[in-house]
Amino acid sequence: MNDLMQQLVNGLALGSIYALIALGYTMVYGIIALINFAYGEIYMFGAFTGLALAVSYGANVYIALLGAVLFTGLLGVVIERIAYKPLRRSSRLSALISAIGVSIFLSTLMVLLKGPNTQGFPKLFQDRIYHIGNFQITIYQIVIIGVSALLMLGLQLFVTYTKVGRAMRATAQDQDAASLMGVNIDQVVAITFAVGSGLAGAAGVLAGIYFNAVQPYMGLMAGLKAFAAAVLGGIGSIPGAMLGGLAIGLTEILGVTVNLSQYKDAFAFAILILVLLIRPSGIMGRKLNKKV
Amino acid sequence: MFLKRSKAMAVVSIVLVALFVLSGCGGSTSTGTSTQTADNTKKGPIKIGFLGAKTGNVAIYGLNTIKGLEMAKDELNKNGGILGQQVELVEDDDAGAKDQAINITNKQITQDKVVAIVGDPTTGITRVAGQIANSKNTVIISAGSTGPNVVEIGPYVFRDTLLDSVAAPATMKYVIQEKGWKNVALITSKNNDYSVGLSKIFTDAIKANGGSIVKEEFIQDGDTDFSGQVTQIKAAKPDVIVFSGYYTEAALIMKKVREVGMKDITMVGGDGLQGDDLMKIGKDSVEGVISYAGFSPEQPTPTTAKFIDAYKAKYNGELPDLFSAQGYDALMLLANAMKQANSTDPTKFKDTLAQTKNYDGVSGTITFQANHEPLKSPVYLLQVNGGKFTLLKKVPVQAQ
Repeated sequence: MNDLMQQLVNGLALGSIYALIALGYTMVYGIIALINFAYGEIYMFGAFTGLALAVSYGANVYIALLGAVLFTGLLGVVIERIAYKPLRRSSRLSALISAIGVSIFLSTLMVLLKGPNTQGFPKLFQDRIYHIGNFQITIYQIVIIGVSALLMLGLQLFVTYTKVGRAMRATAQDQDAASLMGVNIDQVVAITFAVGSGLAGAAGVLAGIYFNAVQPYMGLMAGLKAFAAAVLGGIGSIPGAMLGGLAIGLTEILGVTVNLSQYKDAFAFAILILVLLIRPSGIMGRKLNKKV
Repeated sequence: MFLKRSKAMAVVSIVLVALFVLSGCGGSTSTGTSTQTADNTKKGPIKIGFLGAKTGNVAIYGLNTIKGLEMAKDELNKNGGILGQQVELVEDDDAGAKDQAINITNKQITQDKVVAIVGDPTTGITRVAGQIANSKNTVIISAGSTGPNVVEIGPYVFRDTLLDSVAAPATMKYVIQEKGWKNVALITSKNNDYSVGLSKIFTDAIKANGGSIVKEEFIQDGDTDFSGQVTQIKAAKPDVIVFSGYYTEAALIMKKVREVGMKDITMVGGDGLQGDDLMKIGKDSVEGVISYAGFSPEQPTPTTAKFIDAYKAKYNGELPDLFSAQGYDALMLLANAMKQANSTDPTKFKDTLAQTKNYDGVSGTITFQANHEPLKSPVYLLQVNGGKFTLLKKVPVQAQ
C-alpha cells in the first residue's frame, strides 16, 4: 500500500510533464485542426534553453523556466509563420508533413549544435525528501507537480476570462464566423502557438531537472506519449489534455508497479489504440459535426 | 539518352580506374615509409593489416589500437623483426562502416598481401571481416570485440579481449562472496542486446555464487524516467544493484536512487558503464559505482609497467588504454605464433596461435581455450572515486 502511494506520486509527476506538452497539441488542434508534431522538439528546445541558462548564467529554476518559456513561445510563433501559415488553406496532409519536417529539422539542428550525447542538469536544489503520512515526496516532484498545476490553472483562467481567450474559443468554434466578428485570426493562431509552445518549453525544463537528462531526441518519445494523452483526453479539449497526461503517466508507473516494466512504453500506446477504437472523441471530447 | 548514359559510364570508369591506380600506390604510404610493394619474396617485409575506424563515432577505438600496434611494430623491428623479416603495417580506415570494411579487408588480403589483420575493435565489423579473412585463409585478430559469434566463424578468426563470460562471473564472485552483498536487484535494458546478454551471464553467476535476485527490473536505452523502477527496488531492500546496460542510464538510475534516499547502496556493472559521461551526468550519485575492465594502467605487472613507460615516452606522457594495450598484445601474439611455427604462412601459424597458453601480455595473461575464445586474467575491477575510474581490485581468473 505504501509503495502504491509512492508510485502514485511518481506517476503524478511524470503525468504532469505529459500533460503540459499535451496542452500544446490540443490547443493548436482545437484552433486550426493541425497536429503539430514538432511539439516534442519544442519541448526539447525548452530543456536546452533552461540548461544553457542554468549552466552559463547560473540561473535558478524560475529564471530558467521563464527564459525557456519566452524562447520556445517565440520559436513556436516563428515555426507557425514559416512552416504552417503558408499551408493553412491547403490540404491537412501538407501541414502534417510540414510538421514532421520541422520536427526532424529541429532535432538534427540540436545534434549539430550540442552533439548527440545526454547532458546532465546542474543541481538547482538540494536533494530533499518530505515525509507525508507514510509516503515520501522529493523536492523535485513537488516542484514539477506544483509548477505544472499553476501553469494549467493559469491557462484555464486565461482562456476563460480574457479577451484573447474568448477570441481563441470563438476561433476554435468557427474560424470564418469569428473572423467576420472582427477576430484577427492570424493573431489568435500566433498567440495559441506561443502559449502552447511556451508550455512545452516549461515542460522541457521541468523534465530536464527531474530526469537530469537532456538530449536532442528526448522530444520524440515524450511528444508521442503527450499526443496519446491529448487523444485520450479528447483532442481539442484543454481539461481533457490535463487529465489525459496524468492518466498516461499514472498508467505507465502502475505498469512498473505490477512488475511489467518490460512493457512500460507499450501502455501509453495501448491506451491510444483502445481510445481510438472505443471512444474516438476521448474522455472530455465533444462529438463534433465535421466543419469542413 | 543512351549517348548520355554511355558518356556517364565512360566518366565513371575513368574515375574508377584512376582510383584503383591511386589506391594501389597509396595503400602502403599510410605507414609513412614508401617501401617497394614488389611481390613478397623471401626477404620482403611481413605485412600486417590494421582494420578499424580512424574517423567517425568509434574512431577513438581505432586510433588507440594503432598507437599500440605502432609500438609493437617498432619494438619488433628494433629486435630484428619476425624471423628476420621487418614488420610493416598497412593501416586503413573503415570509419566504422561495414561496406567500407569489406572493401578494405579484400584489398589488404588480395592487393597488399597481408598475412594477418588486426581489427576491427567492434564486434559487428569483425563478424563481416572475419568471414572474408577466414575464407581467404588469412588470420584476423580483433583487439576489442566482445560479442558472440566471432571466433565461431572459423579457425582463422581470433580475439584478445576480456569476455563478459569471463569477467561477469568473476565480478559477481567478488560482489557476493567477498563483499557479502547477497541480495541483488538486477536491471536490464531490454532494447540493448549487450545488456540482455550480459544480464543472462549475471543471473547465472549470481545463483552460482549463492546470491539471490530479490528484484528484477527492466528499462530501455533512452529512457529518462526511472522513478517507478527505483521505487520498486527500494521496497525490495537489496544489498547491491547490478545493471548490465550503458553509462548514461546508469548515471540517471543512480541519481534517482540517491534522490529517494538510498544513500549507501552501490551499482555494479560491466564495461558498458565506462564512459566519462557516467560522472558528468551522475556527479556525486555515481561515486562508488563498480565495473570491470580488461585493462588498467594502475598496479602494473613488470611487463605492463615496461609497456606503460615506453608508451608514455612515445606519446607525450599519455597513458595507454584498453585498446592500445590490446592492439599491442594482438601484434605480439601474432609475432609469437609466427616464431613458434617458424613460418609466416597463415595456414601454419594459425595453429600455433590457437595453442597460445599463459602468454604474458600487457593487458593480462592470455590463453586461447579449446573453443578458440581467449581467457584473460586478471579482471580489473574499477570503482568511481573522486569523479574518476580507479582500480579497486585485480581479480585473477582460473582456467577451466
